[in-house]
Amino acid sequence: MIEARGLGKDFGAVRALDGLDLDVGEAEFFGFLGPNGAGKTTAVHIFATLLAPTRGSARIAGHDVVRESLAVRRSIGLVFQEPTLDRDLTVEENLRFAARLWDLSGPSAAARIDELLGQFGLAERRDSPVRSLSGGMRRAADIARGVLHRPRVLFLDEPTAGLDPRARRALWQFIRDLRAASGMTVFLTTHYVEEAEPCDRVAVLDRGHLVAQGTPAELKRAAGAGSLEEVFLARTGRPLVVADAAAVPPGPER
Amino acid sequence: MARAVWGIVAREFLRFLRQRGRLVSSLARPFVWFVFAGAGFRALFAGLLGMVVLFGAFLAALSTVTDRDAGVLRLLLVAPVPRGAIAVGKALGATLLGTVQALAVALILLPAARLSLTPGGAALALSAVVLTSLAAGAVGLVLAATIRSIENFAGVMNFAIFPMLFLCGAFYPVRNLAAPLRALAYLNPMAYGVDLLKHALLAPWSAAGYGGELTVGFDFAALAVFAGLGLAAATPLLAREGGVTRAAFPGERR
Repeated sequence: MIEARGLGKDFGAVRALDGLDLDVGEAEFFGFLGPNGAGKTTAVHIFATLLAPTRGSARIAGHDVVRESLAVRRSIGLVFQEPTLDRDLTVEENLRFAARLWDLSGPSAAARIDELLGQFGLAERRDSPVRSLSGGMRRAADIARGVLHRPRVLFLDEPTAGLDPRARRALWQFIRDLRAASGMTVFLTTHYVEEAEPCDRVAVLDRGHLVAQGTPAELKRAAGAGSLEEVFLARTGRPLVVADAAAVPPGPER
Repeated sequence: MARAVWGIVAREFLRFLRQRGRLVSSLARPFVWFVFAGAGFRALFAGLLGMVVLFGAFLAALSTVTDRDAGVLRLLLVAPVPRGAIAVGKALGATLLGTVQALAVALILLPAARLSLTPGGAALALSAVVLTSLAAGAVGLVLAATIRSIENFAGVMNFAIFPMLFLCGAFYPVRNLAAPLRALAYLNPMAYGVDLLKHALLAPWSAAGYGGELTVGFDFAALAVFAGLGLAAATPLLAREGGVTRAAFPGERR
């Protein structure tokens, strides 16, 4: 589903990403773990065709991110760190807007919107302006927006940032339900180890370089570590999360 | 793609209807001028419509700045839509808003101005309003893609909107301007739009110096050039806003 070969991106003199090789399979739940500034968002933005790579290549669902950007954009869904909703419009109007952008016909869009609003617990707030929603509801609406067109790959870029524990739990429930119902590939970036634990496979990124890749169990065994946190420490000699250590979120349960 | 462009236009219109303040001020502004202008109103009618178009279309295009803050611009850039279609959709949205507001003002003030319009004049006025809105919208998009935040708005009013308003012949004929100012006026798309409106509305008074100064064909051509150049320039400028922005580097924020 996702295939990167020697992928790199420079911003001026800064190497944000270097020599990234990655293979993510169909229906896989893949975690991209690393501290802030590791290059996770840069990689996601390259996969999403928002940034052109400086070196290397990437293919999503068989399409090259540079040469076939429209085909790539058709097959992916994205939930960014910041919401992408128009706060002046209602939840339903936002989804209808997205449906038109993704070229869904009126009736099928309406049915899909109804389905998602029900699934994400937003049915009663469909006519509320987005600005009146709580952070968790906004995030739910944003995810509904991201999967409206039934993407084959869903990118979640630090999706729990700024959410309280209850909203985080609800979000992981949505993701579990979506994966169970559609079998879509989910690519998650996070700097919270707990969130990466339930992933099928995890890649650990540090300063633009991949430092480890495998199932969470493999990585822990190889590093002789009890947690992914310790894996990161063993590979880089530095702790993964410093400032956020006190505010550890509940991870997704499987 | 047609559905996506329509989606962008429909959203612009919906936002306009939602923002009551914008609705009221767009209609109130010309009435204030109407009161001040008093007897000279008929001669100013073309300029007044030009002003409505400028505020309606140009400000609509400038709202792209708030789209960027709200993340909606990023949503547009990950949608499976060619970059050019985004600029076209935004410019057509501005065109619709400029035209609707100009028509509303014209319908209310035409009787007060006691202007009798021939069908040909009305058709010419309508096409002038549409094409001027498009040109102003396209130029506004370039500005919106260039400025960083809406906090620069005072600067935009002082250095873009007011010069465009006062150097377009709306209140003072371009041919009576001093040479340097006249040169500036001809770099202003509004000058051609207002000139076209004078052809359409004030033809009977051209002997008195109120009619158009350039030929109708030249006005149309100039507006088309501004619209085309504006869209061509805005397309790549809007696209660069999609990925991790330059401001986010060095070091990926968050």
